[in-house]
Amino acid sequence: MKKFKLHWLVAATVLMCSASLSAQAFLAIVAHPSNPTSGITAHEAEQLFLGKTSELNGRRASPIDQAPGSAARAKFLKSVLKKDEAEMSNYWSKLQFTGKAQPPREAQDDTGVKALIVASPEAIGYVDGKSVDGSVKVLLIIP
Amino acid sequence: MKRKVATLLGIGLLGGVSTAGAAGVENVTFSGFLTAGAAYAARPVLAGTDVVLADGSITNEVTFGRDTRFGLQITAKVNPDVSVTGQMLARGVEQNFTVLTDWAYVKYRVNNNISIRAGRVKLPSFLISDYNEVGYAYPWVRPPMEMYSANPMTGLNGVDALMRFNLGDLSLLVQPFYGTNTQSTTVPQAVIGSGAPLCLTPPPGPVSYVACPAGTIVHTDFTVENLRGINLSLGSDVFTVRAGWFKTQVSAPAFGVKGDDGSFSSVGATMDWKNIVIYTEGFVRIVEGGANAAFPNQEGGYGTFGYRLGKFLPHVTYGWIDDHNNPTPGMSLKQKSVALGLRYEMGRGAAFKFEALRATPEAGTAGLLLSNPDAVGAPSRNESVMIYSTTFDVVF
Repeated sequence: MKKFKLHWLVAATVLMCSASLSAQAFLAIVAHPSNPTSGITAHEAEQLFLGKTSELNGRRASPIDQAPGSAARAKFLKSVLKKDEAEMSNYWSKLQFTGKAQPPREAQDDTGVKALIVASPEAIGYVDGKSVDGSVKVLLIIP
Repeated sequence: MKRKVATLLGIGLLGGVSTAGAAGVENVTFSGFLTAGAAYAARPVLAGTDVVLADGSITNEVTFGRDTRFGLQITAKVNPDVSVTGQMLARGVEQNFTVLTDWAYVKYRVNNNISIRAGRVKLPSFLISDYNEVGYAYPWVRPPMEMYSANPMTGLNGVDALMRFNLGDLSLLVQPFYGTNTQSTTVPQAVIGSGAPLCLTPPPGPVSYVACPAGTIVHTDFTVENLRGINLSLGSDVFTVRAGWFKTQVSAPAFGVKGDDGSFSSVGATMDWKNIVIYTEGFVRIVEGGANAAFPNQEGGYGTFGYRLGKFLPHVTYGWIDDHNNPTPGMSLKQKSVALGLRYEMGRGAAFKFEALRATPEAGTAGLLLSNPDAVGAPSRNESVMIYSTTFDVVF
């Protein structure tokens, strides 16, 4: 009986934590549900979205960015890529006209990201936590 | 097939109108850059002409051609491993914005670390060879001339390999290349003492210096064959160090130059750490035989220090170019220069730049100018010339 109570306590704590997370608008890095990758680190996401690699755990991965102006992009740039918009355009201007790397495809919003992921099993994107649903698999939560 | 191409182009154009990489346009991306520039040299250096820079691109009048250019790039993904990239470039310094193909290659991705490119790519001889036309991507109005004039070949028709290895936070690039190139360059005018300007003249008749009108710019096409070399670059988010070397055979049929050996070695480093921006590079160029008359043995380099203050990046650059055991002492192009520049960020993808540069050729040589401004008979004798330049740079 005591054990049963403990379970409820844990469950309640988890619920409270996730509730407070969504209140802070956490970001989720998401992939196609068929993607066998169990997770991604912030460092791996940074490498992928800056064009330094095109693979995740030995499998091809294509990043999906969000267009400038979206709140999710602002948070992703700050927390994962650690660059502002000016630094981003400067970074890509040194690469994209050389063919060494191309900026990720851009979706307009969370819905656009999920639509691209549904259509492409290799795609990896990020959305606001509130937008996570059964069409995508969460690889990392960024609080 | 034709219709397929038309459809593809149509989709690409639509993609260009909305944002690059917009949803629904998977295989074709458009991107571009534009630099609008003006330059002015404060004094003439030779009686009878406004031309100040040896290649004729900057004069004692305000001109807009030197830095103004427009580039448009199309990348098409043929399949997950094969992509095609073309970049069209129109430059004010060419005759009235003739469009040239700066890049045109097919890239094959062997694996996550190795890609092979074939077609026309940039010759990787400098830190910013790859994006030397993309003004937005660097702090100066134009890359320091003491370094970047030393190799007039910017392109390579051939093949290269991009081998990239991640070592923790560091990334190593090994880039061997092989190919040929045909390009046009200017042959500097010579002015000895207070004598008349001399131009190297092509056959018929022996190749020799003859008197020519002041400010005459002699263009020559030249071909390099058996161009082979390697570019090594090691970098992190904060710094990049590179070293490169190539060897080739130079021919300039108009001047009877055929298959003369040339080699070019260069090193460079750049750092962008917190507010501090540093660039520094150096080179040694060796050219043998008859080609040495137009391309003497040289060494040179520069150092740039900048400090970011919000949207402003003020910077200072010191550049120098000198002889390097040159067998034909008549063609010395010794020069030093100091440039003060300011870059201002105008939001995403746009920057405004201003630069004041003082070029000082060594006594008795023209440096990279048309003539030494302190030569006997120069219009207003002074050991230096001020050159003021401004650009507005955009990427899209």
